[in-house]
Amino acid sequence: MKRVILLCLALLLVQGTAFAADSIKIGLMGPITGPWASEGAEMKQVVQLLAEELNQKGGLLGKKVEVVTQDDGGDPRTAALAAQRLATQGVVAVIGTYGSAVTEATQNIYGEAKIIQIANGSTAIRLSEKGLKYFFRTCPRDDEQAKVAAQAIQKMGSKRIAILHDNSTYAKGLADETRGLLEAAKAGEIVFFDALTPKEQDYTTVLTKMKSVQPDIVFFTGYYGEAGLLLKQAKQMNWKVTFMGGDATNNPDIVKTAGKDAAAGFYFVSAPLPKDLPSDEARNFLDTFKKKYGNPPNSIYAALAGDGFRVITQAIAETKSTDPAKLADYLHKDLKDFPGLTGKISFNEKGDRVGEVYRVYRVNDEGQFILQP
Amino acid sequence: MEQFFQQLTNGLAVGSIYALIALGYTMVYGVLKLINFAHSDMFTLGAYLGLTLLTSLALTDHIGPLWGTVVLALMVMGLVAMVGALLDRVAYRPLRESPRLSAVVSALGASIFLQNTVMLIYGARYRVYPHDILPRVALDVFGLQIPLVRILILCASLTMMAMLYIFIQRTRIGTAIRAAAIDQGAARLMGIDVNRVILMVFLVGPALGGAAGLMVGLYYGQINFTMGWGYGLKAFTAAILGGIGNIPGAMLGGVLLGVVESLGAAYLSFAWKDAIAFCVLILILIVRPTGLLGERVAEKV
Repeated sequence: MKRVILLCLALLLVQGTAFAADSIKIGLMGPITGPWASEGAEMKQVVQLLAEELNQKGGLLGKKVEVVTQDDGGDPRTAALAAQRLATQGVVAVIGTYGSAVTEATQNIYGEAKIIQIANGSTAIRLSEKGLKYFFRTCPRDDEQAKVAAQAIQKMGSKRIAILHDNSTYAKGLADETRGLLEAAKAGEIVFFDALTPKEQDYTTVLTKMKSVQPDIVFFTGYYGEAGLLLKQAKQMNWKVTFMGGDATNNPDIVKTAGKDAAAGFYFVSAPLPKDLPSDEARNFLDTFKKKYGNPPNSIYAALAGDGFRVITQAIAETKSTDPAKLADYLHKDLKDFPGLTGKISFNEKGDRVGEVYRVYRVNDEGQFILQP
Repeated sequence: MEQFFQQLTNGLAVGSIYALIALGYTMVYGVLKLINFAHSDMFTLGAYLGLTLLTSLALTDHIGPLWGTVVLALMVMGLVAMVGALLDRVAYRPLRESPRLSAVVSALGASIFLQNTVMLIYGARYRVYPHDILPRVALDVFGLQIPLVRILILCASLTMMAMLYIFIQRTRIGTAIRAAAIDQGAARLMGIDVNRVILMVFLVGPALGGAAGLMVGLYYGQINFTMGWGYGLKAFTAAILGGIGNIPGAMLGGVLLGVVESLGAAYLSFAWKDAIAFCVLILILIVRPTGLLGERVAEKV
């Protein structure tokens, strides 16, 4: 009896591997759990939907595309394990991930395993300054964002500027860059530059301090959870100052937390929202997404993960190969103005996305995000 | 000077929340010599249960904001207390005779379990309390802008701490808790049902933690399944600062930590806020290794 079972198991295994060889595996590494779990959940929805669509059209090179998801927990250590697991699962490329520090922990693992990594939300500059052949990203870099932020601050005519970050790789990078640009442009005086501790609920201490130096504008480079609380607590203190945020504040939850009255008038710099995406590809995709999941995607990073998936499948289709060196070459040199969900996509030799992506948004009295001209 | 007082009130508000949570750590430690890592999740649970009850029962619409909140607080405290007792029964009681390290590991496990349960039930996104529950008025006290809710929170936590103090000092069961904290074996010989005492501790501590969670939800409005971690860590620090096992010490430690944090941040650096707070902790522990009020061993609870 034992032998029969063993035989069955062995057969199953053989079948299993045979079946696996018929598919092309694309990894998705995202924060499925942890503090950014809502981002991760949407990334997964988007990539899976795109894979289903592709498979309905016949897949890639005659094979089905299989998405292998691993959870990075929004944490560098978990991510390193996730990357090692994906590296042993025979994936051609990996989409992800969201946080810069998290991506950084996995870059060498994918690099050594010769797996293409296409990050979707990691905007820290240094990630693509390491000369890694297999690293790409569909999101822009912080220096790009800082440029747009500094321009917006100057355009508003602010003279006294407060910059607040949260000590994370991303937020501090953006804050430093923006400060540098503003100082170089002699656009105004930086009257406050410091960090808050994320995940605390009480930011009255830092607000009280900022209020005492009387800035015209507060530029907060951290995440939406903290930004919502800052807006709410500033309102409770009766402090009327213009707040501006970086792209990590781009999430409808900021209005829920702050309340419509406190969120009104908040500016933020971001890649365009899913709803403001101009291309036909994007509109079609948003419709199918809404049909399948009941609501449109909230996060631009999920759409950027989708773009990661679309460029890598495009590369595989065009080169008719899953050889990482060929794919990387194609992405670096031959992919030009690919019609992505978030606009035209090309990569430079560092693997960074080329072209201006960032826009300035303002929250109106109804709590909607309005694209500023 | 105005800024100093404003920052002082900021620190007091946060500190009183730390103090409420710290009481839960210190009570369990006093009786069981166990650091109940799952206590921070009682706090989270309080915040989430408060949200559920608030939105589903709409108490504040029926009986007014003040009484509605009071009834809500009692319900949340009751429910969290039950979870606390269950936690003891499932995670700690089977390990009562094992080495202390096993219980600590069990506590960590329980914490991870509870945190992820909350995530699975309520989702990972930030959840937000309704905005119009409590009046959003700021009182003008000598030129300082102090939100009314903040004063209410301070009063509510002080009241709860005072009630706890009286309960521990003046009632029979309180005396039994103190006795069990000093020497479990001797207490048992005196006819005290130590398991009941422990049950009591696991009812009262989590209830206070849950109340703190509800207050944070009501005042700050934004809750998340990981929120317990930061508060728990600070509250635990506060308990050590005041002398772990000592109830007035936990209160003092909590309020002190809140004030040191906000003044340190305001006058030195915000980025170093936690570092400043922990430096103060280390300095105090060097001078007084048992914490500020930790030497009165006889009153350990």
